Amino acid sequence: MSDVTLTEEQREALVSLVVRGMARGEATAVQQSLADAGLILVKGPVLMPTPAGTEFVGGLLRLPDDAPERERIMATFHRFLPVNRQLRDLCTAWQVRPDGSVNDHSDENYDADIRDRLDDIDDAVGPLLKRFTEDIPAMGGYRARLTEALEKLDDGDDAWLASPLIDSYHTVWMHLHQQLLLTIGMSRKEDEELEERLVAGAAE
Amino acid sequence: MSPSSWAPPIDDVGLVPFGKGFERGLDSRSLCTRGVQLETLAGLGLPVGAGLTIPVPNVPGFTSPDRAKAAMNLLEGIAGRAISSTTESGGLVLLRLSASAPVEAAGLPPDLVCLGLKRSVIPEGLGAQARADLAAAWWKSAAFIAEHALGVPSDELGSLDIDYPDALERLEPFRRLCEEQGSAPFPTKRSQQVAAGAKAMIERWNSPRAARARKKQNLPADLPLALHLETVVVTEHDDEGHGYATSRNMETGGFEPNGSFRHGFRLSGERQMSGHPLDRLPGGVEMLTGVLAELEGRLRSAITVDFEYGPDGLVLVGLEELRRPNARVATSLAVDLVIRGITGEADAVASTDPVHVVELLHPQPKLTGNEVTLATGLGASPGAAVGHLALDSETAVEMAEAGRPVILVMSETTPGDLPGMMAAAGILTANGGSASHAAVVARGMGRPAICGATSLRLDAEARTLASGEHVLAEGDLISIDGATGVAYVGELAIERPSASPSLTTLLGWADDARRLGIRANADNGADASAAVDNGAEGIGLCRTEHMFLGDRLPFVRAVILSHDGDAEEKALAALADAQREDFRELLRAMGDKPVTVRLLDAPMHEFLPSSADELQDEHQARMLEHLHEENPMLGVRGVRLALIHEGLYPAQVEGLFNAWVDVVQADEARPQLEIMIPLVSIPDELVMALRLIRRVNQEVASRTGLVIPFSIGTMVETPRAALMADRLAQWAEFLSFGTNDLTQLTYGFSRDDVERRMLGTYLEKGLLTASPFAELDPDGVGALMEVAVAKARSVRPDIKLGICGEHGGDPRSIEVCERIGLDYVSASPSRIPVARLAAAHARAGVAS
Repeated sequence: MSDVTLTEEQREALVSLVVRGMARGEATAVQQSLADAGLILVKGPVLMPTPAGTEFVGGLLRLPDDAPERERIMATFHRFLPVNRQLRDLCTAWQVRPDGSVNDHSDENYDADIRDRLDDIDDAVGPLLKRFTEDIPAMGGYRARLTEALEKLDDGDDAWLASPLIDSYHTVWMHLHQQLLLTIGMSRKEDEELEERLVAGAAE
Repeated sequence: MSPSSWAPPIDDVGLVPFGKGFERGLDSRSLCTRGVQLETLAGLGLPVGAGLTIPVPNVPGFTSPDRAKAAMNLLEGIAGRAISSTTESGGLVLLRLSASAPVEAAGLPPDLVCLGLKRSVIPEGLGAQARADLAAAWWKSAAFIAEHALGVPSDELGSLDIDYPDALERLEPFRRLCEEQGSAPFPTKRSQQVAAGAKAMIERWNSPRAARARKKQNLPADLPLALHLETVVVTEHDDEGHGYATSRNMETGGFEPNGSFRHGFRLSGERQMSGHPLDRLPGGVEMLTGVLAELEGRLRSAITVDFEYGPDGLVLVGLEELRRPNARVATSLAVDLVIRGITGEADAVASTDPVHVVELLHPQPKLTGNEVTLATGLGASPGAAVGHLALDSETAVEMAEAGRPVILVMSETTPGDLPGMMAAAGILTANGGSASHAAVVARGMGRPAICGATSLRLDAEARTLASGEHVLAEGDLISIDGATGVAYVGELAIERPSASPSLTTLLGWADDARRLGIRANADNGADASAAVDNGAEGIGLCRTEHMFLGDRLPFVRAVILSHDGDAEEKALAALADAQREDFRELLRAMGDKPVTVRLLDAPMHEFLPSSADELQDEHQARMLEHLHEENPMLGVRGVRLALIHEGLYPAQVEGLFNAWVDVVQADEARPQLEIMIPLVSIPDELVMALRLIRRVNQEVASRTGLVIPFSIGTMVETPRAALMADRLAQWAEFLSFGTNDLTQLTYGFSRDDVERRMLGTYLEKGLLTASPFAELDPDGVGALMEVAVAKARSVRPDIKLGICGEHGGDPRSIEVCERIGLDYVSASPSRIPVARLAAAHARAGVAS
């Protein structure tokens, strides 16, 4: 499938869909052309990449093993993973209180504390995103998308922290993480194991 | 220098050693929450860590190194140790500066740990882990001071952190960065560091970030801070460490101290949850258990304490009252406090939020002991689900499209699996933790999920799932419990659990305290049994609409559309027989309790064919056209349908009376029948219905030789019925407010349309504070009800008055019902415990 030739517009649309996992709504003309090429599946109002589409994007984004910037990217990725853990823990705390009950967002003190801690995470990911973007220009949009989610959250809509159905902070972060994994060619499982080691302080 | 050579503490008036604040007449306004916690602990004679509070009025002056020096001197006296000295076990004594506000507040600056460090004071023998921890903790404090006290840009500090992973190598560039971009070099003297730390905390508390946090909590913008200075011993000795202990088991709610501890020192103010279990704590947990029991009794709250331990034993360094414990903890604690004689039953009932109780009754798989466990993982998103196994996202979507419930099972999930997760009823993954992206997404979608069930082996080629000895094929049924993290082979029944012993006790006390009767809305035997199990004293509403659907629909259509008298009569007889079965099951479950059966209320159009294909002949087609209604909900509905089709209500009550005879003759039950006529607005509608019912009652009685007692009542669903309650009460022995319709007709709201289109706007603009369909409107609908209550009782003082809409299970609405003097509320079976507790609260509220 890697011998498929796509226009720039098609490539962007396919990468976006693979990183996001799905899209809802009617297929655009570009998406329809990708569906015709067998790279996208249209299921009612849902668009999803086919395995061939996912593989194509994997080949497109994946950095060659001998790429000069790989070492720098991996070093930054090692700094990213502990912050990634913090973000997921924070989203979990946003949904479930420490005693296991569902956070119904009626405790202003609890929610304000989580929102406050999100600033630490956002501060920590800022310099990392800057590094990533120096080596992978396509990562450039994430800073603005994360900031947009934060602003909407601060406008008073709690969904913008962790709702999976909108471009919430967690959703954008998950896309960012997915794009990094596709770029360095790492599986979810390897990623989880590395993160565990880094968080435990055992990895270099 | 040995501790004994230190002079007695210099007790500066502006510095308050932990435990000395209350005796000086200080309170939370100056000591703030952390100061009060330590006062509380010390006041109970418990050992507390060495530390002091800089009270609110003295905080601004604390940015002076002289004041910081005085505090350090005092602290050295309290601790009996010099700052920067080495302990007997080889640890290094440093400082921790923390902040708190007069009330619980988010947005506080972080603890600054390891202040007072100079490279020259690090003991030779300090181990590698302690050095690494020291470096990490010091960097956090130093970077915070640099950013907030010296104005160094945070991005520059972040870059330094990335560029120099080794903390020692970072020191020199950090020093240069502060000199070049900060307002002053980074302070090297200990007292300067403490003073700069205080300044950084104050600056951060005044920053937009902290202001936003205060605003989000509706706290005053000028809420002040107190600071707290304590010693910290940097160590990795096996006998020295820190931890936390919580008084309650969060799963069961019972008193069962649990927590964890770690060797070494506390790196930050945030509690570290992972560590060794408490039963391995050097010195044992007896003291902690006693402390937690004592604190629970004093503070009447579930408690968490933070502690440090060392060669000299255990000291407490923090205290937290669980402000919002989960329902299991809340009910168990409330009952325990009564048993210990600390509080009374009324306190226990008052301290339990009725809505909270719902949490305890979430559906879960019914376990019989015979179920087969497929795999165990981490309960990542609560709830239970049963479905067919799908091994990838696409299959899950296809199966769901075909109308089959699906459990999506994957090794791990990626964003590409979102469509499958959305389509699935539940999610099960082999990898990932309860904080994985998949778990966050599952919770966000409200899907039950188990993550990290590591025994699962997926075979994408063979389309099988293996775990231990089990091998399942795609499409096989499995069940998952997202609360416990257990997946089962096959289909398990999902049901609501019965009340825990604590909840049962508490509800018993609530029953003693309430005046309102609690009945259930139940339409079949299973619901009726569940309602009785939950404590319902009768059925307040048995809807009969469902008895006319499914395979009985043709009979109803025959009645409505028929032009053949014989056919209509046969159809009515069939309906009466079918309902006899339905009612028998329901009555059997209720013993001798009252059962209110509402005769058919649904609008006629619900029974009519929706397409021409379903019509039997041209006559039916003509009838259908003739029967078309513009607004069926206000058309031929309730008693009106029975006036047009006079055989309908007699057929229903014939089924009901026969069923009553069946269960009484079988000696199974002797329920009190109450027959309720819906949508009455003209008193004579009730009289005509009553006449039909009496005729059938006499017919069945003379046929069976049994007198079948029943009472007759009506729903009050229209404003006219409410205003004419005195006239209705001449005939009705009970009235039941149908507050859904009454709300629609009082406001002139069509519920579906208004909830969908208008409610958001109303709430946003502050015109309403809640949906009047969820929370009974006390001013309008409540006022109409009040009029009806007074009028009805003026004619028939012993008339029974109740409510049977959704409001019957809502605590605020129950308050209104108590206030206006209804006799009972009727709620769905699952809301019965909520209603019992809410009725007790409402009674206490009215009494006070």
